[in-house]
Parts: sequence; structure tokens; C-alpha cells
Amino acid sequence: MPRRVVITACSAITPIGYGKSDIVESLRSGRSGVKPLRDDGLLTDHLHSKVFGTVDYEIDYGFARKHTKTMGPVSFYACQVAKDVLEDSGLSQEFIQSGRLGVSFSSTHGSPTIQRNIYKTFFSNLKNEFSSIGAVDYLKSMVHTTAVNITRMFGITGRVIASSTACTTSSQSIGFGYEMVKYGMQDAMICGGADEYDTTTVAVFDNLLACSVDYNDTPECTPRPFDTNRDGLVVGEGGAAVLLEEYESAKARGANIIGEVIGFGCNNNGGDLILPNLNGITTTLRLALQDAEIEAADVDFISAHATATKMGDVIESQAIHNVYGGRPYVTGLKSYMGHTMGTCGGIELILSLYMMEQGFIAPTLNLENVDERCAMLNHVRQVTETKAKIAAIQNFAFGGVNTCLLVRDVRE
Amino acid sequence: MMTRDELEQKIVAVLVDEFEFEEPGLTDNLRDDHGFDSIDAIELLAKIEEMIGFQLSRKEKEQAMSIRTINDILDYVQTMQANKENG
Repeated sequence: MPRRVVITACSAITPIGYGKSDIVESLRSGRSGVKPLRDDGLLTDHLHSKVFGTVDYEIDYGFARKHTKTMGPVSFYACQVAKDVLEDSGLSQEFIQSGRLGVSFSSTHGSPTIQRNIYKTFFSNLKNEFSSIGAVDYLKSMVHTTAVNITRMFGITGRVIASSTACTTSSQSIGFGYEMVKYGMQDAMICGGADEYDTTTVAVFDNLLACSVDYNDTPECTPRPFDTNRDGLVVGEGGAAVLLEEYESAKARGANIIGEVIGFGCNNNGGDLILPNLNGITTTLRLALQDAEIEAADVDFISAHATATKMGDVIESQAIHNVYGGRPYVTGLKSYMGHTMGTCGGIELILSLYMMEQGFIAPTLNLENVDERCAMLNHVRQVTETKAKIAAIQNFAFGGVNTCLLVRDVRE
Repeated sequence: MMTRDELEQKIVAVLVDEFEFEEPGLTDNLRDDHGFDSIDAIELLAKIEEMIGFQLSRKEKEQAMSIRTINDILDYVQTMQANKENG
């Protein structure tokens, strides 16, 4: 018998703030977290795009060396948001280490900063240096480094899932975590994703002509999802974690239930690894509705993937219209902070939860003139005071992976 | 070659500054008293190589895995230096 899965804590480090009050203020005031691209001393000068969704505030981590010695920058974000959700959850130490709590968490490709240091060692003349590749560089940079640094820091002994699927990394992490709890494999899961400052990712999208380049002098004016003058995505950084728990036990222990995951859709386009696919995306949105056993008309708000690429936004608009028509509110939250890659699904879920709790929906930033090919949707153009009960969080990745998470506000 | 006192000062400084040891004693058990693990051992060997100015062989590094105290570290480094000097 499938079990209900609720969200009992969440935390996000984002370019528009860390924690609920910071982030909500940014959403309400239309504050962008896109800044000039920081110089990395390697690639920056060669890139056309000079903007980045930047975490430019200090975070007081306070982690001991016994933990940081295996952590690259990406794991600092991951462990911080995991620490936040465990502290907020009120879960006992006994349960945390019982084997009934698992971790579903990852990043796009581990820690590129550490990987870059390794390559630097290989490709430079380092005859006078000893042991120039650190003994723990692999532990700091491997694909599942975030997940296992979380288990290590908190002594978690349950399952580990590390789904590194580019832009669907954290939405898959949350979806797979939801399935673990729903089908009784675990009683709770810490789920999410993180990605650190990295110009390699910017270079990849830059070479594919998919990065924003027209707003290098006015970073806050890009990205521009659904706008006629959009010119591509902006890469960003951050971390996000949610705690999923089985409903009955969460209720019994008096947990603060902030939402319920009611459905998850996930599939692959089965073909091109880059181009968005209308059929694949449409199917994913329908799979999520089927899993949740609700109708399209029940969904009030859609957090669109909306990276602000020329074709991606058009295909997504068509898919949304195919499934929902023009009724639900639609916002592209990446307009506030760029595309935080492996983190984006987690961040967009948490922002959606904040807005559902506070009774408003933030508009898509920089949406001045809606592209006529996207105009059939109910775009949010200004802060809208409304209490959405059910939200869909959509994410699509290179490799043709599509996800859709459906969450419900269960508060009275 | 460094005297044992000079070596002790340097090793203790590294353990305090980079491995966050608090009030290390020469006969403390590195693992039990300071949480020093196999990852730390590999990292410390890299520091020792920098300190003594030559690279240790695989076999020499494996010998370090039986180290339990700071005194053991000092003995080990002095042995490696002596081996090097004696060719």
C-alpha cells in the first residue's frame, strides 16, 4: 500500500538569498541574483557570456576539519542545507542513524574546482612538487561527493541515491526519494542537490550558443524566460535540501508539515541529447498527474523550467498548454537567479513552497514582451496574491531527461 | 638534517595548524585522542615529504601506516632521513 509523503523541512542557498525571509523578500521585490561573472583566471576571458547567478554572501559553516577534509565547495553547500533541515526537523539522533533515513542528493558533476586542480597538476610542470594531487581529491570531487559527505557528517546509515542528471539532478533526487518513502523502502529521505561556482559549465553552454550574452553590462536584465528578447540561459550556483517523511509517522511525532509530494513524473526523450522534445515533456507532465491521481484542472501553479533559451521556452509552453490549457499560473523562477544546474529543481520546489505558504506567486522577472509562441499561457507578470494549493515543478535536462514534481499545501 | 626537537616543533605545528589537534601530547594515540584517520595519514605524509625535501617510496609510505603516536612520527621521519643519508 503506497504511503503518503510529506515535506517536514527545507533549506536553500540561492543567488537571491539564504533562508525563507531573505528569499521571499527577493521574490516580492523582484531582486535579481545575477551578477558579473567572477574571474577564474582560466576560462573567463574566453567566454562570450559574462554573467552568473552568484552566491556572494558569507555563510558561517562552522564545520570541523574532520568533516571538511573530504569536502569540495559543492559539499559545503550540500552539508549546510542538510544540516539546516535536520536541525529544523526535530528528528532524534537515534532515528537519523537508524538506517530508516536515507539520502538522495547529488550535483551535476561533483566538484569541478577540485577536478580543475587535478588537471592543473597533470598539465603543468610540477617536477619540484611532492604529492601534488591530494589524497582526498577524489572524495572531494566524485559524483556522489555531496550525498556521502552528508551521510558522513550526520552518521546516516540508510540508502544513498546520487542521480547526476545535469539540470534534473535535484528534481530526480527528490522524486526518487519520494518513491523510496512512498513504497516503504525508507521512512524518511534527505533530498536535493547542489552546484558550486564553475566556469566550465558556462563554457559548455557558451559553446552551444545557449548562454545569454546581450546583457553582460546589465546582469539583472537576464535571463528573460518567455520574453521576445531572451537570449539564453545564465549559469548559477547554490544548494537545496528537503526532508521527506512518511505522513503518519510525521504527524504522530508532531512534525511541522510544510507540504506533501503527491506525484512524480520522469521519463526520457529516447533520442536527441540536447534538443527539447515536445512529446517527451508532455508525457512527463501527464505521468506526474497520473501518479498523483489528480486532474490537470487541480493544479494552480506551474514553476516552469524556463531557462530562457530560444527553443526550450517555446517547447515547454506548448507542453504546458497541451496538458493544462491556459489556466494555471506560470512563472519561470530562473529569471531571478539563472540556472543553478543540479540544484534548480530543489530550489524551485522550495520557492514554490514558500509562496504557497505566504499566499502569493512571484512574477517571471524581465518578462516585458511575451513571445507570441509562449503567449497562450497564464504568465504571472506581477506579484499576485493568491493561495495556490497544488504546484507543479518542471525540469528538463541534457540527455533528454524530464521530470515533474507535484506538491500540495496541506496546511489549513 | 633537523634535530629531533626541531622536527617535533614542525610536526606539532602542522598537526595543530592543519589537522586541528588540540594540545597534542607526544604519546597520545593519534586516532583515539585526535580522530586522526587513514586519510589524515596520507595527507600528513605529503606534508612530511615537503618538510624533508624528498619523495618517499611506496614501501616507505606503507611503513608509516603502523604509526600510532607523535613519537612514532618523529621516529619514522628520522629513520627516513637517515636512510636517505646512508644511500
